[in-house]
Amino acid sequence: MKDAACITSESLDRARAGDAQAFAVLVRAHQRMVYSLALRMLADRHEAEDVAQEAFLQLHRRLLLIQSATHLVFWLRKVTANLAIDRLRSAPRHEVLPLDDEPGGMAADSSTDPLLQRQMRGLVAALPPGARAVVLLRYQEDLDPTEIAATLDMSINTVKSHLRRSLAELRKNFDAQQPMTGNSPDSSNTEGVATALGVSENRQS
Amino acid sequence: MSNDIDEQLRAALRRVDPEQGFAQRVLARIEVEQRQRRPRFATRLPAWLPTRARWLPVAVAASALLVAVLLNARQVRHERQGLEARQQLIDALRVAGEKLDLAYRAVNTESPPTASDDTAPGDTGA
Repeated sequence: MKDAACITSESLDRARAGDAQAFAVLVRAHQRMVYSLALRMLADRHEAEDVAQEAFLQLHRRLLLIQSATHLVFWLRKVTANLAIDRLRSAPRHEVLPLDDEPGGMAADSSTDPLLQRQMRGLVAALPPGARAVVLLRYQEDLDPTEIAATLDMSINTVKSHLRRSLAELRKNFDAQQPMTGNSPDSSNTEGVATALGVSENRQS
Repeated sequence: MSNDIDEQLRAALRRVDPEQGFAQRVLARIEVEQRQRRPRFATRLPAWLPTRARWLPVAVAASALLVAVLLNARQVRHERQGLEARQQLIDALRVAGEKLDLAYRAVNTESPPTASDDTAPGDTGA
């Protein structure tokens, strides 16, 4: 049985030759990543759907520029993040609402509190667009700072700075929202920041 | 429950699926976009023509137009030359007519008939 990368690669070749069904395979293979990124950036399902569709439309127009399956994933993340940032900057919202349950989403992780997750999503959605994109690429897409820097056209230092400040901000706001529950992440725990930044430092060294 | 913020973030930001039929909606948008971008004349051409060949009728029409313009210019030039030649012929005929007229008059006025001219040869008048 062929693996996903091989199927994506084959579909990419066929889609480049104008095969609409092959392009549909590519969309299905990456729709979850693109839509999730747009949804977490915009905190609005309709806008997220629109941005995700726009990302795939741009992909269809520029299929010939895509060199490989890996490049395709990189390109989709980059375009989706930039489209979402542009949309946020062109029409800034005054109120950010955390999203409740996502249709078709994974079953809730039993080790984490859904209410806590909702609050965390709300706090992430309140970050400035650039910082939000950095946090999403780090924690949703599991990219290291080097990859995030390449995706968002930022310097690695800017990415690390965004991560450090965002995590501090998230921790502070989370603690402020939950002073009595005891559910908050340990504010004295610097492991999160170290882990967020340390991955790339280890890889770079 | 983990208190680590990394885990909290990963759990909160896990990927989710879009609503059902997302791929179909993307393909529908692509179809609409392609229909809008396609030039109208191309839509009337047979689908089996390669994309590049769809510009062939335009190229043929442009070439035919160019040939027609060149032929017309050539025709106009010939007509103008013909008119000039005609005018030159008319002028030449007029000048020749005038010359002939002058010659005719000169001949008629140069030697008017006299009486001695009426005498028959060999006639002494005796």
